[in-house]
Amino acid sequence: MATSWPKDRRLIGKDIPRTDGPEKSTGRARYSIDMNPKGLLHAMILRSPYAHAHIDAIDVSAAEKTTGFKAVHEINGAGKEVYFAGDEIIAVCADTEEHCRDAMRAIKIKFTPLEFFVKEADALKNPQSKTISGPAKSNVAIGAEATKGDVAAGFKDAEKIVEADYGMPVICHQCLEPHGLVASWEGDRLTVWASTQAVVGTAQQLAATFKARIPQVDVKCITHYMGGGYGSKFGPDIQGIVAAELALKTKAPVKLMLNREEEITVGGNRPSAYGKIKIGGKKDGTITAYEVDCHGSPGERGGATVNLGLLPYVYLDTIPNWKRKHTVVRLNTGIARAMRAPGHPQNCVLTDCPVDDLAAALGIDPLIIRRKNLPPNDDKVAQSDPTAWLGQRNNIYVRELDLAVKLSEWEKKWHQPGQGGKGPIKHGIGMAIHTWGGSAVGNLGDGQPANDATVIIDRGGQVIVQSSTQDLGTAQRTVSAIVAAEILGLKVSDIVVRIGESPFGRSSGSGGSTTCPSQAPATLRAAIAARDDLFAKIAAKFGAKKEDLVIEEGKVVDKASKKGLDWKKACAMLGMDEAKGVGAWSSNMANEIDPDKKILVNPGVSNVQVGGVQVAEVLVDVETGVVRCTNFVAVQDCGLIIDKLTCESQVAGGVIMGVNYALFEDRIMDRHTGRQVNPDMEFYKLGGIQDLPRIKVAMVDMPERGVIGIGEPPTVSTAAAVGNAVFNALGVRVPYAPYSPENVLNALAKKGAKG
Amino acid sequence: MSDPQQRTRNGPGVTRRDFLRGSGAVATAALTTPVPSLLHEAAAQKTEEVVGLGPKGVPIELSVDGAKIKNTIEPRITLLDALRDYMDTTACKRVCDRGTCGACTVLLDGKPVYSCSMLALEARGKEIKTAASLHGDGKLDPVPAAFVAADAQQCGFCTPGFVVSMRATLDKNPKATPAEVEAGLAGNICRCGTYEQMRHAIEALCKKGG
Repeated sequence: MATSWPKDRRLIGKDIPRTDGPEKSTGRARYSIDMNPKGLLHAMILRSPYAHAHIDAIDVSAAEKTTGFKAVHEINGAGKEVYFAGDEIIAVCADTEEHCRDAMRAIKIKFTPLEFFVKEADALKNPQSKTISGPAKSNVAIGAEATKGDVAAGFKDAEKIVEADYGMPVICHQCLEPHGLVASWEGDRLTVWASTQAVVGTAQQLAATFKARIPQVDVKCITHYMGGGYGSKFGPDIQGIVAAELALKTKAPVKLMLNREEEITVGGNRPSAYGKIKIGGKKDGTITAYEVDCHGSPGERGGATVNLGLLPYVYLDTIPNWKRKHTVVRLNTGIARAMRAPGHPQNCVLTDCPVDDLAAALGIDPLIIRRKNLPPNDDKVAQSDPTAWLGQRNNIYVRELDLAVKLSEWEKKWHQPGQGGKGPIKHGIGMAIHTWGGSAVGNLGDGQPANDATVIIDRGGQVIVQSSTQDLGTAQRTVSAIVAAEILGLKVSDIVVRIGESPFGRSSGSGGSTTCPSQAPATLRAAIAARDDLFAKIAAKFGAKKEDLVIEEGKVVDKASKKGLDWKKACAMLGMDEAKGVGAWSSNMANEIDPDKKILVNPGVSNVQVGGVQVAEVLVDVETGVVRCTNFVAVQDCGLIIDKLTCESQVAGGVIMGVNYALFEDRIMDRHTGRQVNPDMEFYKLGGIQDLPRIKVAMVDMPERGVIGIGEPPTVSTAAAVGNAVFNALGVRVPYAPYSPENVLNALAKKGAKG
Repeated sequence: MSDPQQRTRNGPGVTRRDFLRGSGAVATAALTTPVPSLLHEAAAQKTEEVVGLGPKGVPIELSVDGAKIKNTIEPRITLLDALRDYMDTTACKRVCDRGTCGACTVLLDGKPVYSCSMLALEARGKEIKTAASLHGDGKLDPVPAAFVAADAQQCGFCTPGFVVSMRATLDKNPKATPAEVEAGLAGNICRCGTYEQMRHAIEALCKKGG
């Protein structure tokens, strides 16, 4: 039977506080790092102080004699190379953290330092050098060019052309709960309490690690609470495997969580992206051509930096002629990991900032150029699936632009670039737009959905929702409770949600904003199945046909006789039995077409692709170079909203993360020592409450589209909007984020020098 | 990640971190050297009690959220690590571990302090309160309740620290304006970005008068 959301919604879409809020806000919620099982040992990893070195010898003999020492586990031994400052060498286990540090200090390692590069510009100047691991011949890998249309003709057609540099540096995830886990063995069974975005994936990866040695290995991963991941926590990582190895070796539970310096240098970072852009257009706002030659660094192991396939961002399908080229620069720095909308914020800066500069060159309001180049609707798609993004994206963007213009008072506040006031403090306003996927996860290799949920109703009327999925602060626990309560006619507080344990069923890692669109429909199906199971099991005692039973708020009602029974009394009819339903969901189910009717089988349950428009207002002090972002408007769609309160909170959070990397965040590497200068929280800046803008969030509710993920989109266009606001204030483009005093004053000085 | 070759027990280049966490000898020096900030403390606490402690563990009793907790810990251990590693306390989190982020904030005799930036021994005889104390008798204190109602928390890892700072600010000045409460939170950092929702919580609290 087709699945659909209830038409009359009592709870879904309302402002519902997160169910675990009291536990979290009073610190009673126990995170993985808070786990202290009896007999716990501590482990730490000794890391390379060099950006690139050969390990000549390791001597642990003195360490073995230190108080409380238990064991070591070698990761990169003598004869191997380490490729960045922070690369793992050897792990130490002791009875206390203090004794761990003592033992680490007693380990003697002989290194031969080798050539390294930690700055993109240095590696680019030496393309013949190789200072990285693996078979690549050079640190620098020049990507293939891609072209659409006739770029030369496009520029010839343009009335104005802008050529300039844009970019953003590497930034660090800075998860407040660091990466790591607590590992405990009981025979062949390994339990880990991990700080992870992938409970099932972490258990699977650990099982795969020990399978050869322990064929019956049975791994359980538990993540009841999780202190931030943002894309950087998808598996046990080296430190998790090492903790499990040391727990096996010492026959005791072992905790290994990274310290702050490690969290920043090895816990994940987002690649840089720097581009030379040429963009041309006409006075009516038409962009005739766009050309980008960009590079960035994903750290030592390589990987993508921008999302090249989506450049020029958002306007990809509108701009008739474009050319793009991308170079990956591998450096002797920590390995990049996915970070909240990978590649998209970079894409947005490389597109939406040049668009504003082109508008300025043409002498038009940047709003005009945006409206002119919005991607078109695909009418064919609109006919076959009215809920699809492609069929209505133009309308959605127009609606969002109109709303953003209204909420930000754009018409009143926008002025010509550089006309931000007479005094030293200049006002500016800027805009950027974005898109993101956010669909459910598809089927796995076995053809079954990657996500499921189980709903159990017991004879006492207690309802339990069980799923292995994780809550990263995304309110997934609350979402599951809302959906089950909606279907079963109960209050959110009536539902017990058990999540974050790998044996609880199938779930995918929380990446790509996929968790809510996968898990909410799975819970919907599970709750419906449990309800129908309840009806079937109590119908006879109820004296009704099971088809006639329906749920009303707090009651089970027989439509035929109009007889209603209180929920608990109805559940008591289960006797010794329980009612249970399992529901699964995947993008395959969302996209399933009825072969006869040629329409979607389950329309409007979950969907893919959203848009958003953001407007930043800034004050820039031209004497000090300090930028303050004062006000922000974020307009965002995400289909059917399950919990408006936590949804809006996530959007505001995305904006704040974006303003942070627009204004403050910068991983600074020292080319002389090869180390990060600011692996901490005092010089790696994150804004506090007084540093960040007031934020108006406006959700464009489109319940007919079904659930779409919201975690990533609201952070995509923030930095570009702030950059454009700074441009509007100064009339000078600050080419690179962060728009810090240094970068702002440099841009002003450069303009001054040019006169 | 420092070069182990360069990190000697008493050698030059001892960082502030080593100073706090380093060997017993260094920590003892910290307690016995007449550093101005410690003089007052020493006078108040009988200097002879402290002199010569460590490097081995010493018995310690701390009053945490109304409970007296005893353990044996090395004198070099910070209050934060003592609470977390030796007293199984969850409501103060170790994040920056050097007095920047505020996740470890606790009340010491009613005053908010970074528990990562003082030694456990310095907290003897004082009343330590964590955010967990704001849930007495099953009733949620208005500050964490406002955090819940406004959804001023996401991953929740920084939240207990913010809650303690806000409680302390409002205790000190129940008539604080929203701007004054914000100033009271200036020593705390959130990564998920819940400041706007915190402002909603602050506005609601200021209306109610703390």
